[in-house]
Amino acid sequence: MRNTTPIPSVSRMDRRHFLRGAGVLLALPWLESLQPVFARKAEPENPRRMLLISNNLGVLPKRFFPTGEGRDYELSPYLRELEAFREDFTVFSGLSHPGVTGGHSTENCFLTAAKGPARSGFRNQISLDQFAADQMGQVTRFSTLNLGVNLDRANRSLSWTRDGALLPAENSALAVFRRMFVQGTPQEVARQLHRLEERGSVLDALLEQTRSVTRSLGADDRSRMEQYLTSMREVEERLHAAREWEARPRPQAPEKEPRDLQEKRFFLEKFELMLAMARLAFESDSTRIVTLMVDGLDTGVFQLHENQNTTEAYHGLSHHGQAEAKVRQLEETDLQQMRLLRGLLGSLAETPEQGRRLLDHTMVLYGSNLGDANTHDNSNLPILLAGGGFRHGSHLVFPREANAPLSNLFVSMLQRFGVEAERFGSSTGRLRGLDPLPGA
Amino acid sequence: MRLLPSSFAPGSAGRLRLSSALLGGLVLLLGRTPAAGRAAAAFRELAPLLEEHCVECHEGSKAKGGLELARLAQDLEDRGLRERWVRVHDRIQKGEMPPPKKGELSNGERARMVGILGGALQEADRREVERLGRGPLRRLNREEYENNLRQLLHLPNLEIRGMLPEDREGHHFNKASETLDLSREQLTAYLDAAEVALRAARVTDPQPRKPDAYRAVGTDLFPRLGTFGNRQAMFFAKGDHAADLEAKPSKEEELRRAADEELELALFRSASWPYFGYPKRFVAKVGGEYRVRFWARSVRQVDGFRLVPAEAPQPMTFRARKPSGPCIAGDPRATGGILDIAPEGALYETTVLLREGETFEYSLLGLPIPLAFNVQGGPPIYRFPPFPEGGQPGVAFRSLEVEGPLVPAEWPPASHRVLFDSLPVGAVPADAKSEAIRLLRRFASLAVREPFPEADLAIFERLILGRLEKGESFESALLAGYQAVLCSGPFLTLREPEKEGDHFAVASRLSHFLTNRGPDDALSVRAGEGLLRERRVLRAESERLIAGEGFERFIHNFTDYWLNLRHLRRDDPDVRLFPEYRFDDYLVESLERETRAFVAAMIRENLPATVLVDADFAYANDRLARHYGLEPLTGSNLRKVSLPEGSPYGGLLTQGAILKVTANGTTTSPVVRGAWVMERLLGEPPPPPPPSVPAVEPDIRGAKTIRDLLALHTRDESCASCHARFDPVGLALESFDVLGGWRENYRSLGEGAQVKGIDRAGHEYAYTVAARVEPNGKLLDGTAFSNIRDLKKVLASRPRQLGRNLLHQFTIYATGTPVRFSDRPEIEAILDACEPAGYRVRDLLLGLIESRIFLGNAGCH
Repeated sequence: MRNTTPIPSVSRMDRRHFLRGAGVLLALPWLESLQPVFARKAEPENPRRMLLISNNLGVLPKRFFPTGEGRDYELSPYLRELEAFREDFTVFSGLSHPGVTGGHSTENCFLTAAKGPARSGFRNQISLDQFAADQMGQVTRFSTLNLGVNLDRANRSLSWTRDGALLPAENSALAVFRRMFVQGTPQEVARQLHRLEERGSVLDALLEQTRSVTRSLGADDRSRMEQYLTSMREVEERLHAAREWEARPRPQAPEKEPRDLQEKRFFLEKFELMLAMARLAFESDSTRIVTLMVDGLDTGVFQLHENQNTTEAYHGLSHHGQAEAKVRQLEETDLQQMRLLRGLLGSLAETPEQGRRLLDHTMVLYGSNLGDANTHDNSNLPILLAGGGFRHGSHLVFPREANAPLSNLFVSMLQRFGVEAERFGSSTGRLRGLDPLPGA
Repeated sequence: MRLLPSSFAPGSAGRLRLSSALLGGLVLLLGRTPAAGRAAAAFRELAPLLEEHCVECHEGSKAKGGLELARLAQDLEDRGLRERWVRVHDRIQKGEMPPPKKGELSNGERARMVGILGGALQEADRREVERLGRGPLRRLNREEYENNLRQLLHLPNLEIRGMLPEDREGHHFNKASETLDLSREQLTAYLDAAEVALRAARVTDPQPRKPDAYRAVGTDLFPRLGTFGNRQAMFFAKGDHAADLEAKPSKEEELRRAADEELELALFRSASWPYFGYPKRFVAKVGGEYRVRFWARSVRQVDGFRLVPAEAPQPMTFRARKPSGPCIAGDPRATGGILDIAPEGALYETTVLLREGETFEYSLLGLPIPLAFNVQGGPPIYRFPPFPEGGQPGVAFRSLEVEGPLVPAEWPPASHRVLFDSLPVGAVPADAKSEAIRLLRRFASLAVREPFPEADLAIFERLILGRLEKGESFESALLAGYQAVLCSGPFLTLREPEKEGDHFAVASRLSHFLTNRGPDDALSVRAGEGLLRERRVLRAESERLIAGEGFERFIHNFTDYWLNLRHLRRDDPDVRLFPEYRFDDYLVESLERETRAFVAAMIRENLPATVLVDADFAYANDRLARHYGLEPLTGSNLRKVSLPEGSPYGGLLTQGAILKVTANGTTTSPVVRGAWVMERLLGEPPPPPPPSVPAVEPDIRGAKTIRDLLALHTRDESCASCHARFDPVGLALESFDVLGGWRENYRSLGEGAQVKGIDRAGHEYAYTVAARVEPNGKLLDGTAFSNIRDLKKVLASRPRQLGRNLLHQFTIYATGTPVRFSDRPEIEAILDACEPAGYRVRDLLLGLIESRIFLGNAGCH
């Protein structure tokens, strides 16, 4: 039997208190004191970060895409919410992943560009965050953090391994917070170090044993065992880093723990909390790469304003069929999300780092695998990139009928991140018209 | 539909070009292998037919459904391409393509096309199965892993599944090889879980802990003198009257009351929040099983807080929870099973499972929940709903004893001996190395489901010896080796049965199918004897497992996924529209048990496959009898009852659980329900979305009813052709509300004739009676029906289709791989064999187990 306890309405005071407190306290001396444990390549002078966000139900396209082109474009109703940061973001139209069609099934391909997710036997491929992390090596406590809002963790993720296994995301802000900031006692740390050492030898034995089995298998089974072997090697690799990091104290928690919101109807609050976690992760240099999947499909009826719920589940709203009541609620949902984004950009802009703003070192990608949820359209995706040291302030337009590959933007981002990648996914090069800001 | 320009009419130059393209693909394949040669010959024969009937629509950049036949390569060795040709084959075979209105294809021509293409596909797929097996090996899902560890370690209550990432679904199940992959996160989690399980299995105390004993009577039976909902919800009674207890008693008075054997705790409400109803001062110091004995009787409360004997038993259970007052920390869990408390006072006994720091509370099922009103910001006032005629049912308790955690019959317990055999607790053997090696071999043989290769054992031996040399303790070194065994391929994965002599994989597949864990001893012995490919033995073993207790795990997991029962509690009914369902956990729980019991009976009682859609009986208890409008029943236990003439219920299709998982709590959608039923019960999933998205935007403005809405939505032909497959079934199901209650009209909160009252939580409600339900429709093949009863008859007249669907569901569940093209003749053969008896469900299941689909190429004899 289930507990049907209605949690008393979330105390907004509590949450606000936490969020505000966190922002103020973080003048971040630790940012500069932390040096990487080991890196595959020399650290660039300015650490680069990326936050990759996708909402798998997208936005109302007509209200998102601006009119006009280049620097003189006219802000759309949604982008007006970000007006204060006009010079800090670029909005794109005419981008999509070629061959990535099949309605909602494309949600797992937003950062992978793997084609044909609706086909049987489909196998995903490495996602942008994992690719970047692999290239960069583990320079922070966590090579990446995968976060979710109301996410069906079993079946959806933005983050995928090289051989197409799903990397689950975390839905609980509290859990993320604890992983980043809660420091064990010296005994606990010692025990954990011993455990990691023991795990290393268990993995050695498993690797050896699995290799011996794999030789005698058929092709299909072998590829499955290869995946198993890869996982073992990856776990082992990460053990080294984990040991080094375990020995270092965790950064001081900026403030008290966030409240653990579990109810899915607090969708927008949870989204806001997760953005705060992403920011804290960057500010504390716990990681340089964060993915955040906003799962509208798994969000039922939710609270749009205090004391006002939507009339139906998010997915139902997204198939609005132009029905006015649904469009109105969707618009409000979208607008609120844009405001949350504005809040994030604001706090990244207020945080200084090495004489610049944290925002200048942090690429924030916001987009969706759906160009229009109403019709399950996977072309003309709504994409926005803020911060991270690009020459922003423009609307970059690519043909509506023959979209440019979204992977080209990923290549530009990878290069800005400090990874010398020429290709990613279905890229044909860097994205034309998006230039790095010299000296940033 | 846009017509093609006339220059592409049959016989024009355009066609000739295509013809050579269709043939061109073949040339490449010729001369590769004899098989490829045969495939090429088949396509050569097929080309003129495709040319004549298909390419008109399927060519060029505007090809229908994104299918350009001339560009679809004819290499059937390639899985992806084969898959696409299978779809071509199926749509021609079903008569869906070419579209009927084109009407050019004669039956003879259709049969020829299907024959040629089917033959080539069959051969190609068969060859791949012979070469590679039906499917790849797969990882145990997290439930199987937990079950296997529980079994191996003799820890029936071990909980580790929460440590493992939830498994991805494939073909709706958590058993699909395709999706059960293994990422580094998973591997880490499995290593962690194995470690926790091993530590839970070993004991450190040389003697078992003496069980704690606790006894409560009088006011110790409840944490307070009252609960939320005032005296109507609960009071202490003496001599069938509410006892007049001083709120601030003297110390002596307090002690006297807490020892008063004649004081009864009379309780009349459900355990929903806000509520805390645990005995005073009891907390489990250690997690484990606790025996609970209590005296109780079912009663009715009549005006003046008086008790009279009940007319019917009252079902109850306990909920394990932290003693945290009205705020609930963690999830309260029902434990101890459902007990029906009879009007005659009696002693009851059950066993509850508690975690450290937990207590347990009385949970009466199906009773009201008084809810709070805040009057002008003041403290909450609780209103108890009006009593039903004859009084408010409830339970009176007189004493309660707890003892636990229960001590295992032997010490050290069986779980410890799996790890250390007869070694005394905490002892280090004189010859640690050789003893460690002996214990490892013993453990590995218990753990893995087939003999472990010698070379692999040597690797784990070296691990343990290496740990010992590093100065690790005997126990810690040994457990490291065990952990490796529990995360190694032979434990963590399941594989296809291979050759003739391979009986272990058959045993594993059979036990994971029918009991969701590894083979039991008897089955392992059969595998060791090499007897599992004897049809007689295989059948006897299957029937033994079906009859056994472990089969409940199959029922649970299979219905969790096939019928989505794991999501049964996802959406609460909107209480403004459905006040009768407010907080009715007991109804939802009864619905869940009904459907699971029904599916179990389908197999154990070998019912015909038609019970998926229609039956003249149902499983019901007191609550379900009311829900389904049957003769009143008493008690919580389900029993088989015949349905009255004309009842819309009977069969899975119209069970409340099914109707709930296909609704969202507020509204029902014929689209969602229809698609779900077509896919899960009839085996006709909606076609995958076409790769080219039509630029049609459904515009449903102005729609008033669900029918208008659908009519508008499907005005476009490309929408309509698909919706016609599933909407009709959903329309007939509109006669059922979000919990499967019968309705003639929809409800709304708008203007109109209002229905008012006070619901089971004491809340006033008012909803509006809205439009009449229109449950009539027409299936894709033109069969019309006027309501659900009609539709059931239509669907029940397709027993072979229903049986085929069951075989498909069993196949993916049991083997991890969906029915392949080359499995189809085998499926039809099973159906043929089951036809005379009317496609009975256990016959179908056993037929599958005895087939090559289940047993691999070697089959059985």
